[in-house]
Amino acid sequence: MKPHSTVIQQQDSTRIHEILTHFLGDSGAAEALLIDRGGQLLAMEGVAQALDAVSISALAAAAFSSTAAMARLLGEPEFSVLFHEGTKRSIHVSTVDEEAILLAIFDERTTVGMVRLFAGEASRAVGAVLGEARARPKPQGEFAAPLNEAESRPAWTPPS
Amino acid sequence: MSVINYANRVIDFKIVYYGPGLAGKTANLQYIHRCLPNANRGNMISLATGDDRTIYFDFLPVSALTVRGFQTRFQLYTVPGQVQYNATRRLVLRGADGLVFVADSQFERLRENVESLRNLEANLREYESTLDEIPYVLQYNKRDLPNLAPVTYLEFVLNRRATRVPFFEASAVEGQGVFDTLNTVSRMALANEFGGKREKRDEAS
Repeated sequence: MKPHSTVIQQQDSTRIHEILTHFLGDSGAAEALLIDRGGQLLAMEGVAQALDAVSISALAAAAFSSTAAMARLLGEPEFSVLFHEGTKRSIHVSTVDEEAILLAIFDERTTVGMVRLFAGEASRAVGAVLGEARARPKPQGEFAAPLNEAESRPAWTPPS
Repeated sequence: MSVINYANRVIDFKIVYYGPGLAGKTANLQYIHRCLPNANRGNMISLATGDDRTIYFDFLPVSALTVRGFQTRFQLYTVPGQVQYNATRRLVLRGADGLVFVADSQFERLRENVESLRNLEANLREYESTLDEIPYVLQYNKRDLPNLAPVTYLEFVLNRRATRVPFFEASAVEGQGVFDTLNTVSRMALANEFGGKREKRDEAS
C-alpha cells in the first residue's frame, strides 16, 4: 500500500461514462458507482442528487472488504458479489479488479439476475480502462513543482 | 491512495485516525464535524456499538483548498481502537494517504499507546508499507485530564523513529489541537502529491 495516486484523465472519464451508461441501459439499474477498495468514489452514473454517493462509497467498500475477509476465513479467495435486497431499492456490488468494485442501485423495474449479468461485462470493460490509467506515469504539469507557501497554508481555521 | 480526477478537477485523499480504544479518535471527527460549515463537510457516519464504542469506523468527508485548479477533499476515518477489532482496523487502513496516531496522554494508558503503535506498524506491513512511507503525525490527547505523562516522555516513548514526526497536544473534546493536527497531516498528504518530495518531518510543534 505504498501511497500512489490513481489518475483519471479526461479520456478515461469519457470511456468510463460510456461503459456505465451502457451498463445502466442494458441492466435496467438506476445508478452505478465505481469505487476504489479504499472507499474513494472514482466515477458515477445516473446518480440522483439526493444520494450521498461519498458515504455510500465508503460504506460499500468497507462492506465488500469485510465479506472478502470472511471469504478468506472460509478458504475462498473472495466473494465476488455482495447483494443487499430492500423493499423498494436494492444494491448489487461486484468485483472490478483488485483495486476497485462496481456498485449498482436498482428497483423493481429490473432483477438482480439482469444486474449481475451486465455487471460482469461492465466490470471487465471498466477494469481495462482503470488498468491503463494506473499503468500510465503520473502526469507532471500541475504536479511537477512542490507546494508554495500559499498552497501550504492551513486549509481550515479553528473557531476562535 | 489518492484519486486525481481531471474530469471534475478534484483530488481525494484518505486520512486515518489510529490509536488505542478511548483515546479520542471519534472525538476529533465529532469536533471537526461540529465546527465546519455544511458547505465544507459531508455527513458523519459512525458505526458504533450501543454504548458509542466504534465497532468498525467513523467517516467524515471534508473539502479543503483549491490547489492549481484542483479542489482537494479529505475523507477522514477512524479505526476501532479495541484490541479485538484488528481485522477491521486493517481493512480501514487500506489506501490511507495520511495517518494521525491519537495517543492517550494519561500515564496509565502508556502501555496501550505503545501496543497500538506496534499494531499500526504490523498492519501496515500487511500492506507492504511502513510509517516511513505515509505522512503521519502524533496527537497527544486528553491534555485536560489529571495524571498526565509529560510530553517529553510521550515523545521519548512514541516519537522515536529515525525522523521525528510533528506532534500536537490536544484535548479533542474541547477542540484544542484538533485543527492543528488535521491541517498538518492534510498538508503533508498534499505535499506528497506535488513535486515528488515528502514534506520535512522534523518540524514538530
